[in-house]
Amino acid sequence: MIRPDAREKLSGEAVYGTDLAVERMLYGAFVPSPVPNGVVRRLDLGPARRVPGVVAAVGPDELDRLCPKHDLERPLFPKVAVSYYGQPLAAVAAESPAAARAAVRAVVLEVDAAPPLVDVEELYPAWPEASARGDARTVAHVLARDGDLVEAFARADLVHEETYRTSGVHQVAIEPHACVAEVADGRWSVTTTTQTPFGVREDVSDLLGIPPEKVVVTGTWVGGGFGGKGSSFLEPYALLLAAAAGRPVRLALSYREEFQLGRTTLPMVVRLETAVRDGAITGRRVRLLLDSGASLPGRDFATGYAIAFLLGPYRVGAFEMEGYAIRTNKPPFGPHRAPLAPQCAFALESHTDSLARRLGIDPVEFRLRHVWREGDTTPLGLRVGPFGLAEALERARALRDRWRADGSGSGRGLGVACGFWSTGTGAGGEARLRLGPEGLAIVEGEREIGSGSVVGGLVDVAVRVTGLPPTAVRVVYENTATAPYDTGVFGSRTVGALGQAVAKAAASLVRTLADRLGSRAPVSLEVKGGRVVVVSGRLRRSLEALLTPEERRAGGLVATGKHYGRSGPIDERRVVDGTFYGYQDFTATVALAEVAVDKETGQVSATRVAEFLDVGVALNPALVTAQVEGGVAMGLGTALTEEMLWRDDGRLGNPGLLDYRVPTITEVPPLTVELLEGHKGAGPFGAKGVGEPPIIPVPAAVANALADATGARVTELPLSPERVARALKPL
Amino acid sequence: MGFELLRPATVPQAVALASAAAPGELAVLAGGTDLLLDVDRGLVAPRRVLSLARLPWHSHRWAKGGLTVGSAEPLRNLELDPRLARRLPGLHDAIRAVGSVALRERATLGGNVVRAAPASDLLPILLAYDAVVDVVGPEGRRSVALDALLARSREPALGHGELVASVAIPTTADSVYRWQRVRPANDVSQVGVAVVRSTERPYWRVALGGVPSRPLRLHDVERELARARPTREELGRAAAVAGASAPFVSDKRASEPYRRRVVALLLTRSVEQLLARATPKAG
Amino acid sequence: MARARRGLEVNGHRRSLDGVPDDERLLDTLRGRWRLTGTKEGCRSGGCGACTVLVEGRPTLSCLTLSSEVEGSAVTTIEGIASDAVGRVVRTAFEREGALQCGYCTPGFVLALVGLLKERGARVASETLVEELSGNLCRCTGYVSIRRAAEAAREALG
Repeated sequence: MIRPDAREKLSGEAVYGTDLAVERMLYGAFVPSPVPNGVVRRLDLGPARRVPGVVAAVGPDELDRLCPKHDLERPLFPKVAVSYYGQPLAAVAAESPAAARAAVRAVVLEVDAAPPLVDVEELYPAWPEASARGDARTVAHVLARDGDLVEAFARADLVHEETYRTSGVHQVAIEPHACVAEVADGRWSVTTTTQTPFGVREDVSDLLGIPPEKVVVTGTWVGGGFGGKGSSFLEPYALLLAAAAGRPVRLALSYREEFQLGRTTLPMVVRLETAVRDGAITGRRVRLLLDSGASLPGRDFATGYAIAFLLGPYRVGAFEMEGYAIRTNKPPFGPHRAPLAPQCAFALESHTDSLARRLGIDPVEFRLRHVWREGDTTPLGLRVGPFGLAEALERARALRDRWRADGSGSGRGLGVACGFWSTGTGAGGEARLRLGPEGLAIVEGEREIGSGSVVGGLVDVAVRVTGLPPTAVRVVYENTATAPYDTGVFGSRTVGALGQAVAKAAASLVRTLADRLGSRAPVSLEVKGGRVVVVSGRLRRSLEALLTPEERRAGGLVATGKHYGRSGPIDERRVVDGTFYGYQDFTATVALAEVAVDKETGQVSATRVAEFLDVGVALNPALVTAQVEGGVAMGLGTALTEEMLWRDDGRLGNPGLLDYRVPTITEVPPLTVELLEGHKGAGPFGAKGVGEPPIIPVPAAVANALADATGARVTELPLSPERVARALKPL
Repeated sequence: MGFELLRPATVPQAVALASAAAPGELAVLAGGTDLLLDVDRGLVAPRRVLSLARLPWHSHRWAKGGLTVGSAEPLRNLELDPRLARRLPGLHDAIRAVGSVALRERATLGGNVVRAAPASDLLPILLAYDAVVDVVGPEGRRSVALDALLARSREPALGHGELVASVAIPTTADSVYRWQRVRPANDVSQVGVAVVRSTERPYWRVALGGVPSRPLRLHDVERELARARPTREELGRAAAVAGASAPFVSDKRASEPYRRRVVALLLTRSVEQLLARATPKAG
Repeated sequence: MARARRGLEVNGHRRSLDGVPDDERLLDTLRGRWRLTGTKEGCRSGGCGACTVLVEGRPTLSCLTLSSEVEGSAVTTIEGIASDAVGRVVRTAFEREGALQCGYCTPGFVLALVGLLKERGARVASETLVEELSGNLCRCTGYVSIRRAAEAAREALG
């Protein structure tokens, strides 16, 4: 089947955020902080305003004046304290990009620099033995425990302890952030490349202090999201500039700014201690020190949910998990495809492998003894539903043994790792369907980000409910003023949650038509000669005949559906401090990687990779497989080459695609994808979310393959040549 | 802001324009893939840019002694010439290591020489070939050894108003260029080693990239490889000398000790590869 | 320096370069001036390949090419690919193999592949073809479907 968006994208007609242009549009630019940490002494925008072609310049004072109810805790521009290099301190809008750049240079800015905090371990050299708490830089602390861990450790045959480190990684959507904003007649309108039009509306409303009904967000085609376009970023700035200028303003990031300002995965350190008795895990303590960037206290979302990934999808007996998020002089932490899960899986699955090897047990067999099965309870007290991890592991083991037998040559190694994810985030949405004589329209505010979940997944759901052919179902995009509410295309939730809303709306359409047909038998829809026909047994009527005159005038029969996912409840008795999340509806994934290693240079290349994904039901196997392929490739980048390198002075040393290395076509080997059906999820027809899980086990599988090939356990990502070379032979 | 593009149609016009410019006012654009990045980053701000596009330097030609490459000839034209991989395999390796196909459609050998970037993948192999650069200027034409031209980092020893017209590369028995990178495709090399095998002394010519300042000929390594067929021990010593003597530093791409280890390794592998190619397989 | 300029032939139509500053990139002339926004702006530094167009039939980074520098040349962008025989084959291959997701890298990939198939011919080894596509980054597909599309296009032309 040809993707519904293929023709528009292959003709160059698809309009993305970067392609937007309107009449009388101005070009915006940020005035960046020249230091990563410090105090603003003087900001004079006067000289910038005098630059020819400059129409507006806005800073903290203009924010107060134009948006008097703006969020004081999260001002767009800091009045005093600078938190990261390049942080916007003001913004300008001018007739041309060159004039905007000249205006930025003309701003008089005096900032007293202070030493930046770049490395969280530098701040807490005694961690994990000493607490990392009590400092103003601690933005979150989470602690949960259950069972008698002291006893478990005391009676253990073996306590396996390791420390792992991971690096900052960037989403690298090829399309940079871009939007065009206009403020007119009391309406604050912005057209933008975003995963969450309604999320942007809420953010803009909160940040600028504007009632949400006055904010209108229109989505464009999105040139890659991966979490990086998941909440507002440029939009409030562009709107503020537009309000000041009285004209439309385009604001877009250069790729350098994408890296310098990007809200993305930041480094973390993990300490793992696992107690084993009689070959079984009896207790585990995990501790996490997360670089949270310039996140504000109370705004950290990552720690409480990521740390659960360190206990793993395993029965571990007694446990304790404690995590800290630390404020550093980097942009605020932001989501990146399965936020922190690949990093946590790298630590835990490396640890699991090295523990199994120490015990002399096959690492897959060791995992199978401990994995959650349906009906188990997670450490936070959630019930595990249908869960395909054991089956995925069995399949991976079989393929691993075949690959082993077909002669992986010398220097090759094979590694397996598990991942799990929750696709029941609780975030909800509503759908509106309009069935007209020529077909079905799904009215949406969301735009397609590439995964196919909107142009494909939602359509597939409607097709399954109504019986219409896919060609008779299309998605109609509207802005947030008229489209039904939805939380956004993120969290692998689009088909699972919004798809349920579509299914409900479609079911309601079918019921209405059954009533009008006077039929008790099931009703389905067909297309004959380009017209929709309603069929029930031997009864056949054209849709047109079943519509009321009002409906005919309005373009068809409209139905709506709502779905708000469920989460939790978690067992609060186990929570000592902080916020944990009751995400459930678990999906499982297992990766098998084969690597070749140059033991001298340390170069590791993946030679073949397989992934086994518990999808519940694959509504559209081609699109689901494509998600796995993309996730594996991204995981290979995290595993081998991708690393944001902050210098001691707080600046990013590699803010570009030549030094921040994402995989090219030659770094991605042949992939085998197996979709496991039969462990039904909570999504429509039993589907589970598939956007994020595929990346999760990949870095760990590669690390385990490297250990298999060389005997060396590399405990830090990425497994770049020099790091591996050092592990094999100290330099 | 911005620059004016000068597009002279003849060499004398080009030399006249280059000579008339004040120091720092004019930059020469062969392909522009490096220069325009520097302009974007604000590292240079030339008022005038002299394009070589209309000069008769947009070609390469083979002669008995070797290859002459016009300084505006895109690298892609060279690699698409099937003779290159046969006659100058090391140059073919090096060209394939520069950026992407679409970048090589603009990038040029002449531009690499004039930009004289320490991380260039082309300069080591050109140094190992003993490439000779043909220069034109207000005083006429002259030929200069590439090694002499690269006296200083990023600042070739060209007189005021002088332009690189072409680069002459003598063919040799065999050659290879090897590199080490974090990402094999489209990355900047941490270390690059060029080795040329010759049928006359010195039998081995070795040059190195990824060192600060400028790519270097490693004459002390060449002295260790005195014989046409060095023994394993001689090769081992040469590799040790390469690792020890190169003026490496640590930077964001690699540490100094890693570079030392890798250069020794790449040298060994390169020489072994050339020796294997020089020995017709039995049967 | 005022002078008569020869303009460009874009997708078969002559376009004037009058008023285009000397330092303007082909990418900006195409997108900003002529609103041919099918050519995508990515990293602007030769690292992603999203802005690849054909100049005289050959894949070229429009972000690192001055419009004035290529005056007189024929430029092909994604908007004009349907009028090219190889272009139609490649486009069909991308469609059938589902070799796109977000679509942002797609025009660059299509142009790069069309150019490579023209430069090297359909007999080019798949390995070479794949290696020569390594300047185009895709973050969505893992390149699996793009490899299939490249292979399909190569076979269709062979």
